Amino acid sequence: MKPKIGIYGLTGCAGDQLNILNCEDELLKLFDIFEIKSFVMASRAADESVELDVAFVEGSVSTAKDLEDLLAIRKKSKILVAIGHCAIYGGVQAMFMGKEEWIERYQKVYGKQDAVTLTAPLEPKPLSAYVKVDAALPGCPIEKEPFLKLAGMLIHGVVPKNPDYPVCAECRWKENECLLLKGEICLGPLTNSGCGAICPSHNTGCIGCWGPIAEENYAAEIKLLIDKGYDLDAVIKRFSIFGGTERAEKLRKFLEKEGRK
Amino acid sequence: MNKKIVIEPMARVEGHGGIEVVIEDNQVKDVTVDIFEGPRLIEQVTVGKTPDEAVSITSRICAICYISHRFADIRAHERTLKIKPGEKTKLLRKLAHYGEMIESHSLHYYLLALPDFLGYPDAITMTGRFPEEVAGGLELKKFGNRVMEIVGGRRIHGENMRIGGFGKLPSEEDLEWIKEKALMLIPTIERGINLWKELEIPDYLEEETIFVSVLPEDGTFGFVADTIVVSTGEKYDAEEYEKVTNERVVPHSFAKRCRYKGKPYTVGALARLINMGDRLDGMAGEYFRKLYNDRWKRNPFYNNIAQAIEILYCLEKIPSLVDKIKSTPYKEAKSGKDSGEGTGLVEAPRGLLIHHYKIEKGLVKYANYIAPTTQNLDDMEKYIRNAAEKLLEKKIQDMELPLEMIMRAYDPCISCSVHMVKIIRK
Repeated sequence: MKPKIGIYGLTGCAGDQLNILNCEDELLKLFDIFEIKSFVMASRAADESVELDVAFVEGSVSTAKDLEDLLAIRKKSKILVAIGHCAIYGGVQAMFMGKEEWIERYQKVYGKQDAVTLTAPLEPKPLSAYVKVDAALPGCPIEKEPFLKLAGMLIHGVVPKNPDYPVCAECRWKENECLLLKGEICLGPLTNSGCGAICPSHNTGCIGCWGPIAEENYAAEIKLLIDKGYDLDAVIKRFSIFGGTERAEKLRKFLEKEGRK
Repeated sequence: MNKKIVIEPMARVEGHGGIEVVIEDNQVKDVTVDIFEGPRLIEQVTVGKTPDEAVSITSRICAICYISHRFADIRAHERTLKIKPGEKTKLLRKLAHYGEMIESHSLHYYLLALPDFLGYPDAITMTGRFPEEVAGGLELKKFGNRVMEIVGGRRIHGENMRIGGFGKLPSEEDLEWIKEKALMLIPTIERGINLWKELEIPDYLEEETIFVSVLPEDGTFGFVADTIVVSTGEKYDAEEYEKVTNERVVPHSFAKRCRYKGKPYTVGALARLINMGDRLDGMAGEYFRKLYNDRWKRNPFYNNIAQAIEILYCLEKIPSLVDKIKSTPYKEAKSGKDSGEGTGLVEAPRGLLIHHYKIEKGLVKYANYIAPTTQNLDDMEKYIRNAAEKLLEKKIQDMELPLEMIMRAYDPCISCSVHMVKIIRK
């Protein structure tokens, strides 16, 4: 029997689902190997009544409806895979913003708290804030090759672990000159591998969009950048953009220890 | 008859959305396009960031038109900080933008819109009778993607396009490939355009509306300018955009709404052809003049063919653009200022896109972004209401598909165009 899967999107840019669609040549094979029960971005036919072997979920939980959908998906799925930065870390919408509360920012955009009554807005959070996540595929958005590899392993019942080395490894394989050594802010040492070091290969410092590696030595890089003449605030801000909710906590503690904010 | 038609989830309207039509005593009582997509408050998270950081963040607003968001953002910063991009930079941005237009339009026209008109549930079943058209659509989409990858750095969220220039220039070999491939694909889109002539275009929704787009100052058709034009004749400088958009919050949508002088308006390929079609040259111009008629101004279904004509326009322009890129020397532009205020306009595939900034001492102090779908939502509701009323008059019960097709014509976002329909009878 073919494994049943569902591909879902919560709040985000839909780039992860779009890159699954962009698997142009392999897409039909994928549809053949799996029984796709729900992928509203690709097909009108969706059956939400059946149990799933694997659910792929993109996006952050940002409304009461997102949460309701996520809980329903979790309940009917044996394996839940978070795909992309928003699902794993919360996305740019979940970045550390200093002292300011999320609700203050919400009111600045929508006027007042209850301006939109359709569903309740929630402070954006990753899936793991609410449910058990069995596997994660990082990226902003995810890349085709790692997705196909993961799908191939899942079909054989293997839930793989992500590589725990930073993108610097891939950057060295590309024989790029180290941008940090040249004095530019590059988040490579703190960032998950998987993109093939695209940005440094385009002479642009890594912005960290694959998300923080599990054991990131952020304090060491902060120190290194300050030694190179960067301002602490500027460094914290850069680290926060793709840091998600997890690094936000670390940065908050770091600043407290330093006696700031 | 009391009836409530709910079309939901409409997977994405640059996010999550749905249509709700309430019918009471055989009258259409209420039509709402609901936007569930959660608030990301991007306008707040860019505050305090550097312009370069803001460019990386705003690119994430939408995966399908990241080049347009990045481009509008870069233009806003360059206008604010008085940075004058070099000639080669401008030409390369144009090429990336054409790639995105081709990718986005071909996906919508061939794979999402045409199956409706030809009577198929999706593109896969349409392949049986129209194998070459579907294959052609996929080929065009793949080409657009590859152009975005070569020039922009990635198919989605590439970081190569930057304020003042590019991280890395594309190779001569890649540029030559783009040129040759564009020429090869012209007959493909011609076949796609000719297919439209055979179709019957429903008229149950027709009503005149207002069209808004950019208007290039040099008199050509194009997707980039500092002037906004309204089909009623008024022109506005980019900095006066609020006179056109007048954003407001409604309770059933996390996307804001826009009205021009109190009236809903339309942006996108149809608006561009209505406002600038007389400037089209080449084969695109010929096809436009051949196919255009008065109904275009009253019927959003013509947005589909307008997209196909724009694909042809881009393919026709690419060869000479590539030649110009190759013969133009590259120079990175630097900033002279660290504070100011400015607005960047571009046409995204779905219509006018506006990014507005106030920068103080090198950091964003204020940001505002207005995406095309925000501007189209009120007109979508208007046309869905028109259609629902007419279909009710004609005693047509199954109105889900016709209503969906109106949404789809606006190409609110690719995923929005394929979705599940539910009917709730009271």
